[in-house]
Amino acid sequence: MSNPQEFLLLAPEILLASAGLLLLLIGTIGRGLSNRQSALVAVVSLMLTGVDLYAVRRSVPGRLLILGDSFVIDGFAIFWKALVLIATALVILLSIRFLEEGGYRAAEYYSLLLLATSGMMLMASGYTLLTIWIALETMALSSYILAGYFKRHLRSNEAALKYFILGALSSGILLYGISLLYGAAGTVQLGELSRGLADAIAAGNVLVPLGWLLLAAGLFFKVSAVPFHIWTPDVYVGAPTPVTAYLAVASKAASFAILIRIFYEGLGSLQDDWKWILAGVSAATMIWGNLAALTQDNVKRMLAYSSIAHAGYVLIGVLAASEIGLWSVLFYLLAYTFITIGAFAVVILLERKEYAGETCADYAGLSQRSPFLAAMMVIFLVALTGIPPTGGFFGKVYLFAAAVQSGWTWLAVVGVVTSAISLYYYFRIVVYMYQRDTTETAAVPLHAPALVAAIAFCAAATLLLGLYPEPFIQITKSSLIALGGM
Amino acid sequence: MFDNLILSGVPILSIICYVPLAGALLLLFLPKDRPALIRQLATGVALLDFLLSVPLWFAFQRGGDLFQFRESADWIESIGARYEFGIDGIALLLVLLTTLLGVLAFLSSWKAINTREKEYYVFLLLLQTGMLGVFMALDFFLFYVFWEVMLVPMYFLIGIWGGPRKLYAAIKFFLYTLVGSVLMLLGILALYFFNAVGLLGWEGLGNTATFSILQFHEIGHLIPKDLQIWIFLAFFVGFAIKVPMFPFHTWLPDAHVEAPTAGSVILAGVLLKMGTYGFVRFSLPILPAATLELLPWLAGLSIIGILYGAMVAMAQKDMKKLVAYSSVSHLGFVMLGLFALNGPGVNGAVLQMINHGLSTGALFLLVGIIYERRHTRMIADYGGLSAVMPVYATLFLIITMSSIGLPTLNGFIGELTILIGAFNRTWWWAALAGLGIVLGAAYMLWMYQRVFFGPITNPENENVQDLNWREIAYLVPIVLLCFWIGLYPRPFFAVLDQPVRYVVEKVDPGLGARLAGPASAEE
Repeated sequence: MSNPQEFLLLAPEILLASAGLLLLLIGTIGRGLSNRQSALVAVVSLMLTGVDLYAVRRSVPGRLLILGDSFVIDGFAIFWKALVLIATALVILLSIRFLEEGGYRAAEYYSLLLLATSGMMLMASGYTLLTIWIALETMALSSYILAGYFKRHLRSNEAALKYFILGALSSGILLYGISLLYGAAGTVQLGELSRGLADAIAAGNVLVPLGWLLLAAGLFFKVSAVPFHIWTPDVYVGAPTPVTAYLAVASKAASFAILIRIFYEGLGSLQDDWKWILAGVSAATMIWGNLAALTQDNVKRMLAYSSIAHAGYVLIGVLAASEIGLWSVLFYLLAYTFITIGAFAVVILLERKEYAGETCADYAGLSQRSPFLAAMMVIFLVALTGIPPTGGFFGKVYLFAAAVQSGWTWLAVVGVVTSAISLYYYFRIVVYMYQRDTTETAAVPLHAPALVAAIAFCAAATLLLGLYPEPFIQITKSSLIALGGM
Repeated sequence: MFDNLILSGVPILSIICYVPLAGALLLLFLPKDRPALIRQLATGVALLDFLLSVPLWFAFQRGGDLFQFRESADWIESIGARYEFGIDGIALLLVLLTTLLGVLAFLSSWKAINTREKEYYVFLLLLQTGMLGVFMALDFFLFYVFWEVMLVPMYFLIGIWGGPRKLYAAIKFFLYTLVGSVLMLLGILALYFFNAVGLLGWEGLGNTATFSILQFHEIGHLIPKDLQIWIFLAFFVGFAIKVPMFPFHTWLPDAHVEAPTAGSVILAGVLLKMGTYGFVRFSLPILPAATLELLPWLAGLSIIGILYGAMVAMAQKDMKKLVAYSSVSHLGFVMLGLFALNGPGVNGAVLQMINHGLSTGALFLLVGIIYERRHTRMIADYGGLSAVMPVYATLFLIITMSSIGLPTLNGFIGELTILIGAFNRTWWWAALAGLGIVLGAAYMLWMYQRVFFGPITNPENENVQDLNWREIAYLVPIVLLCFWIGLYPRPFFAVLDQPVRYVVEKVDPGLGARLAGPASAEE
C-alpha cells in the first residue's frame, strides 16, 4: 500500500497546484493582486517548484513507482517537468504586458497557467492510463479557459469554443479507447498493460486494435498531428498570443511525454502494429503542415501550421525506436521550446491593440525600424527551418540520423525535403522584414523589459544549443536511462 | 620565422576563419549613419584577413604532411563530431583565393552600395567566415555546418542589394542549394553509420563513431558498391547544384544577374568552387566504385555543361548573364578534369578552379564598374568604349584572354592540363571539350568587339570616366596573378601535386600507376 511519504515525491506538483489555487483565492479578496504582483507570485512559485523538483531528482536516482504504482518518478518524467516549468516561466514573461494592454484581470490568468502546468507535470509522471487521463484533463480544462481569456473578443471566444468542443470529443475518444484496452487487458497500469494486451491478442481479442487506435487518435489530437490537427490553426490564431505560445510549446511537450510513455510502455508489445500508423501520421503531418503553411498570411496561423509540421518531425524520432531516437526527441523539443517561445515573443511585441499587427505585411521594413527585433526573428526563423548554427539544426539532424539508423530512410527523406520547403514560408517573413519598405517609420517600442529579456534569452539559448550542444545532449541522454523497456 | 609560427601552436586557421566574424560583430556596434567608417573598417578587416592568410603559402611545407596547420578539439562527443581544421594544397589555394577575392569584393562595393551599408558589410564578413570554414574543416559535420551557415548571408546579399528581380533570385538560390544540402546530409549520415554500427541491412565496420573526413577516406573502398552509389547520388545533388552542373544550373543566371557586383564576384569566385571542392574532397576519394560506375554519366553531363553553357552565353544580350553562362561552361571543364580521374586531369581541374575564380571574378568586377557609370549592362548600349576608356579596355582585354585560354595567361595552363587528362581517359571527351574552347573564344571576343570597338554610337558613352585608382588597385592584383599562373605555374602544381596524387590513388589506384601523368612524373 502507499506510504504517505510517497506524496513528498509529488510535492512539486502539489506545491504548484496550491500556488495556483492561492492566487485564485487572493484574487477574490478586495481588489486582489495587481498584474505584476500576480506574475511575480507565479514566477516565484515556479522557481520553488523547480527547486523542489531538483530535490526529488536527487532523492530518486533511478526509477520509482509510487502511490500504488500509479505514478512513476524517473529521469524521463523529471526532464519533461523541468521543460514545462521553464516554458511556463517564459510564457509568464510574455504575458505581463499583454494582459496590461488588454485590461483583463490577471490573477486568474496566472492561476490557470499554474494549474495547467501542474496537470502537465502529472502527465509526465502518470503511470496508469487513468492517472494520465485525469492529468491531461487538468491541463486541458485550464487551457480551454485560457484560450478564451480575452472574453470581449469574438476570435478568442471562437477559439475557446472550438478547442473545448473538439478537445472534449478527443478526450472522450481517448477514454473510450482506454476502457476497451482495460476490458481486454484487465489493467490500466502501463507496465502490466503491455503484457496483458499481448495475452489478449493471443487469445483472439478483436477489441484490442480498436482500443489502441482510439487511444492513439486521442493522443494525435493532443500533439496536433494530421489528420487530427484541424483545431490547431483556429485555436492558435484566436487565443491570446502568450496562450498560443503556451499551447504550442508546453502543452505539446507534455502531450509528447505521455505519447512516448504510452506507446513504448503501455503498447510496447504492439510495436509492430502501431509503427506503421505512426509512420503514416508522421509523414502526413510533415507534408500537410508544411504545405498548408506555405499559403498563410497571418503569422500566428503560419506558426500554427509550422507547429503541426514540427510535430511530424518529432514523431519520426518517436518512431525510431533506438536510443538515439528518443534522446533526439527530447533534444528537439528542448530546442523547439526556446525557438517557438522566442518567435511568439516577437509576434507579441509587434501586436498592438490585442490582435492587430499579425499579418506578414505588418513586418514590412522591420529591419529598418527595429533592427534588434528583426535580427532576433531571423535567428528564430533560421532555427525553425533547421539551418545551423542553431538548436533547430541539431534537433533535426539527430532526428534524421535516428531515422536513417533505424531503417526509416524514406521518412528522413520526407523530413529533409519538407524542411527545405519550409524555408519558403519562414523566409517570407524575412522578406518582409528586410526586403520590403514601409511607410511606417516608428520603431517598435521595447518598453516591456520582461518580454525583451525573454526574447534575448531564447535567442541565446537557440544559438547555444546550435554551437555547443554537447551538455544538453548529456542531459537528454541521462533522462533516458531510467525509461524502462528501452 | 613561419616555422616558429606553426611550432608555437597558434591556431592560425581558426584565426583566419573567425577574423571576419569578429569584424562583423565589431561593425554591429558602429552607428549606421557613418558609412565611410563602416566600409573602411570592413575592408580593413578583409585586408587583415588576407594578410594573415598569405603566410600560409610560405609556411606550407611542400611534400610534408598531407594536411597541415591541423587543429583539433572536442566538440560534440556524443555523436563523435570534432572541431577539426586543416588544409592540404587544394584547400590552401582555395583559402587564399577566398581571402583575396574577399578584399577585392569589399573594395568594389565602396561606391556600388549606398544603402544600408552596415548590414551589407556585416553579411559580407559573415559570408567570408562561412566559406573559409568550408575549405578548412576536416570533420564532415563541421564542414556541413559551415556549408549551410554561409547560405544565409548570401541570401541577404542577393535579396536586399540585388537587382529588380532580387526576391525571386534570392529565394531560388536558397531553396535550390538547401534542397541539395539536406539530401547531402542524409548521405553524410549514411556514411557515418556505415563506419560505425551499420544501417539498413548493410553491416557496419564497427569503428568508433566519427565524422572525420580522413577516416572516411580510409574506409571508402570498403563500402559496398550499391551503398556507394546511393551516397554518391545524395552528395551529387548537393555538390552538382552548387557547381552548378547541367541540368542543375538554372539558379545561377538568376542569382548572378540580380546579385550586387561583390555578390557575383564571391558567388562565381568562391561559392561555386565549394561544389567542385566537394567532389574532389568527398565524392571521389570516399566513393571510388560509385564514381567509376557513374563515370560516363558524369562526364557526359560535364561535356553538355561545357557546350550548352557556351552556346547559351553566345546568345546573351546582357553582359552579366553572358559571364554567368560562361561560368557554367568553365565549371563543366573543371568537372571534366576531375572525372578524368588522373593526375593531369585533377591537377588541371583544381588549377582551373583558381583560374576561373580570378578571371570570372575580374569579369564581374569589370562589368560592375561600367554598370556603376552607365547603369546598363546591355551589350547593345555600348560600342567604341576603347576610345574613351583605354585603361579599362586594356584590362578587360587581358581578362578576356585569360578567360578564353590564351597562352601566357592562366586559363591556357588550366585548360591544357584538363584536356591532357581527359584525352588520357577517353580521347573524344577532349575532342568535344576542345570545341567548348572554340565557342568560348567566340562569345568572349564577340562581346569584346561589340562593346569596345567601332564608333561610339550611343552619345551617352562619350564622357564615361576611365578607371580610378581604387578600381585599378583591385584589378591589378588579379591581372598579375593571371600572368604568374600563365607564365610560371610550377609553384602551384608543386602545392597541388601531393593532394592530387592522393585523390587519384584513392579513386583509381590502377590507373594512377598505368598513366603517370606529367605532374606526377615531375616528382
